[in-house]
Amino acid sequence: MVSIKASYKKMQEMLGKQLSIEQLEDLLSYAKSEIDQYIEEEDMLVIDIKTSNRPDLWSPEGMIREIKGILEEESGIPEYEVKESGYVVKVDSQLASTRPYIACAVAKNISLTDYYIKQIMQLSEKIDYSYGRRRKRSSIGFYNLSMIKSPIEYKVIEETHEFIPLESTEKMSLERILEEHEKGKEFGHIIKGYGHYPILLSADGTTLSLPPVINSNDVGKITEETTGSLIEVTGTNFETVNVVLNILCQVLVTHGAEIYSVKIEYPPDIYTRSVITPLFDKEEIEINLDVVNKYLGTKMKPKDAAKLVAKRRFNCNSIDSNILTIEIPPYRKDILHWVDIAEELAIALDYNKIGPTKWKVLTTGGLLPETESENLVRNILVGAGGTEVLTNILTDPEILTTRVNIDKQDYVKIENPVTSTYSVMRKMIYPLLINVLSKNTHETYPQMLFEVGEIVKLIDKKVVTQSNAAFLCADADASFEDTHKRLNQLLSLLDTDYEIKQINHPSFTEGRCGLILIENKKCGIIGEIHPSILENNQIWVPVVGFEIELPLIPSLKCNVKSTD
Amino acid sequence: MSNSEKKISLPSEAVKIYQIIDENAKISIKELEKQTKLDRGKLEYYLGFLVTNELISRLEIVSHQISLTNNGKESAENQLVERRIVKILKAKVSVSFADLSKLVKTEDKEMNAGVGLLKKQGLIKIDKGQISIIDKKKEVNKELQIILEQLLSSETVDTSDFNEILLQRNLASLEEVKDILLEILIPYKEVSSSIQKMNEVSRLTPEMIRDGSWRDTRLREYNLKASPPTFYGGRKQPYAEFLDEVKQKLCALGFKEMRGPIVELEFWNFDALFQAQNHSAREWSDVYQVSNPKQGKLPKADYVENVKKAHEYGYDTGSKGWRYKWDPIKSAQLVLRAHGTSVSARTLVDLEVPSKYFSISRCYRPDTVDATHLCEFTQVEGIVVDPSITFRDLLGILKAFAVDIAENEQFKFKPDYYPFTEPSVELNVLDPNLGWIEFGGAGIFRPEVTKPFGIEAPVIAWGLGIERLFMVKNGITDIRELFSHKFDWLRTAKMSRG
Repeated sequence: MVSIKASYKKMQEMLGKQLSIEQLEDLLSYAKSEIDQYIEEEDMLVIDIKTSNRPDLWSPEGMIREIKGILEEESGIPEYEVKESGYVVKVDSQLASTRPYIACAVAKNISLTDYYIKQIMQLSEKIDYSYGRRRKRSSIGFYNLSMIKSPIEYKVIEETHEFIPLESTEKMSLERILEEHEKGKEFGHIIKGYGHYPILLSADGTTLSLPPVINSNDVGKITEETTGSLIEVTGTNFETVNVVLNILCQVLVTHGAEIYSVKIEYPPDIYTRSVITPLFDKEEIEINLDVVNKYLGTKMKPKDAAKLVAKRRFNCNSIDSNILTIEIPPYRKDILHWVDIAEELAIALDYNKIGPTKWKVLTTGGLLPETESENLVRNILVGAGGTEVLTNILTDPEILTTRVNIDKQDYVKIENPVTSTYSVMRKMIYPLLINVLSKNTHETYPQMLFEVGEIVKLIDKKVVTQSNAAFLCADADASFEDTHKRLNQLLSLLDTDYEIKQINHPSFTEGRCGLILIENKKCGIIGEIHPSILENNQIWVPVVGFEIELPLIPSLKCNVKSTD
Repeated sequence: MSNSEKKISLPSEAVKIYQIIDENAKISIKELEKQTKLDRGKLEYYLGFLVTNELISRLEIVSHQISLTNNGKESAENQLVERRIVKILKAKVSVSFADLSKLVKTEDKEMNAGVGLLKKQGLIKIDKGQISIIDKKKEVNKELQIILEQLLSSETVDTSDFNEILLQRNLASLEEVKDILLEILIPYKEVSSSIQKMNEVSRLTPEMIRDGSWRDTRLREYNLKASPPTFYGGRKQPYAEFLDEVKQKLCALGFKEMRGPIVELEFWNFDALFQAQNHSAREWSDVYQVSNPKQGKLPKADYVENVKKAHEYGYDTGSKGWRYKWDPIKSAQLVLRAHGTSVSARTLVDLEVPSKYFSISRCYRPDTVDATHLCEFTQVEGIVVDPSITFRDLLGILKAFAVDIAENEQFKFKPDYYPFTEPSVELNVLDPNLGWIEFGGAGIFRPEVTKPFGIEAPVIAWGLGIERLFMVKNGITDIRELFSHKFDWLRTAKMSRG
């Protein structure tokens, strides 16, 4: 999801009509967007766009293009004339293995207010961040055309090369920019991975930018006074840089700018030919309307379908009985399959108008034996007086170790936790129940609680998910019998013979702890929680309890779920 | 006296309590609790005998107790503001407002009130902003100051003459104190001779039943008005119980349950769902990576091969694919299940046709936990497969969810986006208080998702916002409450079906 800010007033201006927030929101749904917030004092809408693969929708201009189609005010692929600018970009073959692709355009007659400049910058940032994968895949630059001379060179340069980067007043070497400049620190790692520095230079040697890190402070900026601009997108894939350039040109055209093409001269080891950008590749896709109708449950005729795709800003180039050839706009690269066109048709028909049908195939429902087994155990433990709790499976290592006297164990850990509170997977439940008790010492006793839930553990270096049941009883008079009798009832109701074998376990008092054995297999533990743990957790009454692994109870059908 | 002729039967404990009340003539129940060391329940039980026999009266009283406010406490400790002003003025000829304010060290509002009060009493004069004292010998509000100090040291004070001014000047406030007062009606010595200590038969014993002695024994009456002791029986967690209900409803609609592992291969979480390996949802900020072990084992080779082809060029689906080099090592990495759809993806292997499935699973995303986000949450997801099924049937299934599960007849559909379905749709239901809320999402699995597993029939994938529904139904605004540790809630949350 991408979130942008836009003026409510300007949105209405661009649509040429007054709309309530609700009306606007309804229309925005056709652009897969919704209003998250409206800040009336600032005339500002915060709009969430749900598609991560439609950067052409990440600006009010893009959404409105879509809406005007739905309202039948405009139709088909928007077209504009592109003249030659005479500008040439020469690409250095040394970039072949790192960031070889560039697409450029020249925009003239620009007259943008500060608001729209900020809007275009917002769009560029969102594209760089999300579609451009934080500039790794693609990044955008705008330059003041009057300060640039052709041919422009896109090449590799030594780290000692110097220029004044944006937000700076002094010349800095490329090396220093990566070390010291804010953007250098943020994006420098991309260049460090290349092993060389890409640079964009004007024919007179002026530096345009160090892609994808930072533009130059004088050339690489546009303001309200700028009338001509060079737009450049560099990246690792030609299709990506070209589609991003197309999106930007389309937005500028909306505001009356004229677009001029730029010739990109690639060396043969990067691209076989020179390319004129922005490139309109006029990509087409064929759909079989019979297949689409069957898929959607609709009865569109070819002529209707042609109208409907135009409503969604596509062109229908030909109709051959039930086969339609659809042209995709140059700013969209999300159409991979005819199902994508099927969705466009369904949206144009309006989901609420085509309406639901009742699918009548009969199927039998049911719970898995695992869930039924868990429910059986839960019911018995409720009968035993337990209050059920749900705790986190992803939890705090401290709760699982030091708080229950355990040093270290083989927990499945998270590589990238947000906080250590949620950083390991539990493999036992009772430590979390002790944590719950420690948070409820002001409540009346006895406190009897249980959880039947999943745990994650390693078996022979394989990660598995399984269900355990844990029960604790905390009370001034709590004794081993209180837990023993409940375990006994549980297992006898489950028709399972068991034995208890004395052992020592750091969480339990010596001599008051046993392993639960079923068919001579260890499948749980029972005992009295060690007083040092009670003290540590500030629980001032004795606590007894047990934990048992459900897959090891033969009468239950609780399978271990292995990841592999 | 008629009472003295009649015999009065009392339990011996009640007699003791009677004597205590008699000695005191009047006593509060709190004091009585202290003296008898009985808990409230028992005490009320015995008092019941004394009240029924009209030996004492039991009166619920509400009294008002005056107690100092913060302002009052400060004035008690540092003197009333007018007294402080007088003290300063006594030492000077005249002082300006500004200087006085600095010297008095209090809020301007407070100081102005003090000055006003002194002016009204004719103790000071103000001339061109200069304040001076008229009578240096006169004390101001001395009695009030004493009262304040007495209240502060919690002496018993009769404040009745000062209550009005104390309240008016916000020096004190009145607090309601509820108490039960027990007062003697007939002195103990007047009836002592007619009191018969009851044979304490409060319990019916097995022996009494067996030997028939219950016939000659009067069982003591229960005090049915006494409040019962607190009791918390076993019960299920309210949210877990709600999920049980949802499972039940889905089973009734013909859905079979499925489950999967929490630690998942990226293959099932993403690749099988046609999410490109450089997709932003696969980044560190969006999915929890497992550090030990980092890798798992990929499933059957031909599935992996087909998924690889789907990503690289669309396999034989007619799709363009993502056109990049697919990496099996990335796909074998272990993550925490980020959505229930990974369970659906696993079910695509050996899928029964036609069939309907659901799963309720814990899922994980690296979010900062707050009132609207959890890093561990529940997803309800599923699939429906049949060669004849269409997108409009999908809308029909969503309608059934709105009506049968959200119990809401008002719903609408909106276009949506999921990387693995096309078309995709969002289900909204109209909540009477909150307006339109998102309740579910669905779509038809892209052929790039299903064909690699040999499935030709359309597969509908759906998910429901079940946490939100539970919160709306139960008036919960903080999502963290779903996993609440509070016994208070776990024990007392109502079981109504909202």
